[in-house]
Amino acid sequence: MLTIPFDTFVLENGLPVILHVDRSSPLVAVDVWYHVGSKDEAPGRTGFAHLFEHLMFMGSRNAPYPAFDAIMESWGGHNNGTTSNDRTNYYEIGPRNLLETFLWLEADRLATLSDVITDEELERQRKVVQNERRQSYENRPYGRGDLAIPEAMYAPDHPYHWPTIGSHEDIEAATVADVRAFFQRFYRPSNASLAIAGDFDPAEARALVEKYFGWQPKLPAPARPPKPEQPRLARDIRIALTDRVQLPRLRLSWHSAALFAPGDADLDMAAHVLGGGKSSRLYRSLVFEKRIAQDVFAYQSSQLLGSMFQVGVTAKPGHDLDEMSAAVTAEIQRLVAEGPTEAELARARNTHLADFYKSLDHLQTRADLLNHYQHVLGDPDGVARDVGRYEKTTVASVREAFARVVGEPHLDLRISPEPAAPNPVTA
Amino acid sequence: MAQAPEVGPLPTVALPRATRFALSTGLEVVALRRDVAPIVSASFMFRTGASLDPPGRAGLASITAEMLDEGAGTRDALAIAADLEQLGSDLWVASGRDGSQLSVQAPRETFNAAMAIAADVLARPRLEDSDWQRVHNDRRTGVVQRRDQPEAVVNVASDRILFGDAHPYGQPVDGLERTIDAITLDDVRGFHAAHVLPNNATLVVAGDFDESKLQSELEALLASWKPGAAPAPARPLPWPDRPRLVIVDRPAAPQSVVRMVAPGIDRFSPDRPGLSMLNAILGGSFTSRLNFNLREKHGYTYGAASSFAFMRHAGSFAARAAVFAESTAPAVREMLSELRGLRERPITTEEHAKAHATLLMRVAEGLSSTGGMATTFGELGLYGLPLDEPMRFVAALRATSADDLRALGERYVDPDAGCIVIVGDRAAIEPGLREIGLPPPVMCNADGDRL
Repeated sequence: MLTIPFDTFVLENGLPVILHVDRSSPLVAVDVWYHVGSKDEAPGRTGFAHLFEHLMFMGSRNAPYPAFDAIMESWGGHNNGTTSNDRTNYYEIGPRNLLETFLWLEADRLATLSDVITDEELERQRKVVQNERRQSYENRPYGRGDLAIPEAMYAPDHPYHWPTIGSHEDIEAATVADVRAFFQRFYRPSNASLAIAGDFDPAEARALVEKYFGWQPKLPAPARPPKPEQPRLARDIRIALTDRVQLPRLRLSWHSAALFAPGDADLDMAAHVLGGGKSSRLYRSLVFEKRIAQDVFAYQSSQLLGSMFQVGVTAKPGHDLDEMSAAVTAEIQRLVAEGPTEAELARARNTHLADFYKSLDHLQTRADLLNHYQHVLGDPDGVARDVGRYEKTTVASVREAFARVVGEPHLDLRISPEPAAPNPVTA
Repeated sequence: MAQAPEVGPLPTVALPRATRFALSTGLEVVALRRDVAPIVSASFMFRTGASLDPPGRAGLASITAEMLDEGAGTRDALAIAADLEQLGSDLWVASGRDGSQLSVQAPRETFNAAMAIAADVLARPRLEDSDWQRVHNDRRTGVVQRRDQPEAVVNVASDRILFGDAHPYGQPVDGLERTIDAITLDDVRGFHAAHVLPNNATLVVAGDFDESKLQSELEALLASWKPGAAPAPARPLPWPDRPRLVIVDRPAAPQSVVRMVAPGIDRFSPDRPGLSMLNAILGGSFTSRLNFNLREKHGYTYGAASSFAFMRHAGSFAARAAVFAESTAPAVREMLSELRGLRERPITTEEHAKAHATLLMRVAEGLSSTGGMATTFGELGLYGLPLDEPMRFVAALRATSADDLRALGERYVDPDAGCIVIVGDRAAIEPGLREIGLPPPVMCNADGDRL
């Protein structure tokens, strides 16, 4: 059976710690998850969790800016952080002799960040984040669609109503007082988990974790609003946008089962059968046989408070989105009516399992996966449960889960070329 | 804890044990065992690539590679895809300027079955007209869609200007609309016959395979793939004259994508380790001078970086950043000042130590995964380098002083020699660029054609 061997313990202050030893390379990875994401943002402060992630690199009391990056890079280490709707993670990778340094830096910012953050640092990262928004969405083809989908799919009071990157206006409005309040509420040991992976001695690592994190105060996990009801659209929604693109793209979105909820794994399988590669139904029909589409995709984007099942197709020159819509709908209806074949489901399962194996090739991915299970399941020991839910999928369960989702109202979002696109493509 | 902890010595980096043998067809094989994940990676690295695209047929090497798995042996395109999925395996092809690559990754149990499909794809691709019509049309549409992506546009324009269209590195690997239109299925058949040969490739197998059986299994799996006359690599041309400033107009763009390109060096130069270190200081790390200035000090960008492309023949040096449209001119000014700074601001002891550690650990990280091992040793095979080359690189890093780096900077990074290529809103950015002393721009379209 596939496993990621680990030891785990919880510090007095509530911080879960996960140790995964792999001595095949002289490297170590430290990976910290905070159970806070854009879903936890206050009204008028969209994008704040992500902006905050940037500020975590702006120095702490004993490692003033730019020590965090400068110290680890001086030894060949590197780091990054990512923010989603649900959580924020930070990781460092480097030579094994940096383990203690990594832990010191992570612990120091958890203990002292809000004491030292300044307006100037906030201002600097505000600009960096605004550039990130332009680079990743506004100046990227079809990026406007990614910004529009959450707003259309979720009601204004739902925590997924806004994109993680936030709005320029709200990023402008953020203050140092907001930073301190956010930090004090969410950045505490009981709202985090720490994973260490790589070439280290577990007893030494445990002593180091106790030394740097153990003294930090025990505070209760932040109070959370009750989990909102599974969102539903009252009726179909249609949105038409233009962008600086050559070809029109159709994106269909449905609300679907939350991460690890019944149906989530079935919908991963359905997405694979429908649009997950060259042997999928949409590829075969629209790209291979009819040759009316340039590309197709389908995926279940799994999240804690509810997921979205998404389908996309880009029309070839000379074809329009009504034609795409009709062709996609026909394949969706066929999958609802017949379900996948046994062979299709077997391929989807095998591909999923093999992708899982491949992800285990990387040290930091393993650390991240253990933290992911800790975050979602409250226990890092999630491999068997995770893999097992795919093994349990059947033709009937996939069909049923898929039919339930696409039987609900959906968002039909169409992105068309701006009228004056330069160098228009010809059929 | 007020005190930063003591940091012990950097670990030594060791090469994994590599076994090398040749099959009877002339295919060189390098095998590396790693059993951390139950997978095997195999990469066929061909020593010729897009640099041998014939004149007016840019895109031929890559579209040939793409046609290989569109039907081969007894399977059509969809059957190949379905059978590979059933095995939980991936097969992908890629082309670069110096080489092309076909890679397979599979769980240990199905690796041989996936390699049997790979053998068909290499030796017996169908290259049929119906598939060609589809792939050709998809590619043509794809290179037109490239105009949507400012980063891709700046790549195409900078290479065409720096190397010139006649140079083997000048035209985009994917081709241009007109060069794709010119390619025929017969061109593809000819390119396959001339290049996809076992004696033109190195196969790197990394992962959890059975060492005692590998050679005999590969011999059997790949027996029907026959050798031929190995093609000669492309010949470079002298650097053409280049304009100082090029703009690809993107009206109302919220960011300007800025690239400064200049001549670099080749993969075999003894200066490669030193220039890699110099680049870590200039723009190859988060705390590099470029990123610190443009991102952290000024907030002009989400990230600024630089790189040398070390290729069979001299490749490019490039400095890059996507910046606020309204900050374009000051960002370019700061970029140039950092290039000048390599001559004016001495490399500090800290920068030198960082560069050494960064490059050393990059070698270690490259060797720490199955895919990374296949990439590391595949590159050695592509350029015919010895298997201990990473260790020679490591030794050369240690032997390079801060003074050496300064001398390399003087010699190779000339802030006045590069061409600045910007994809952005001309009307908004041109006046500012003039104010910082740049000449009127040469204008190009989104394919890099001069207007």
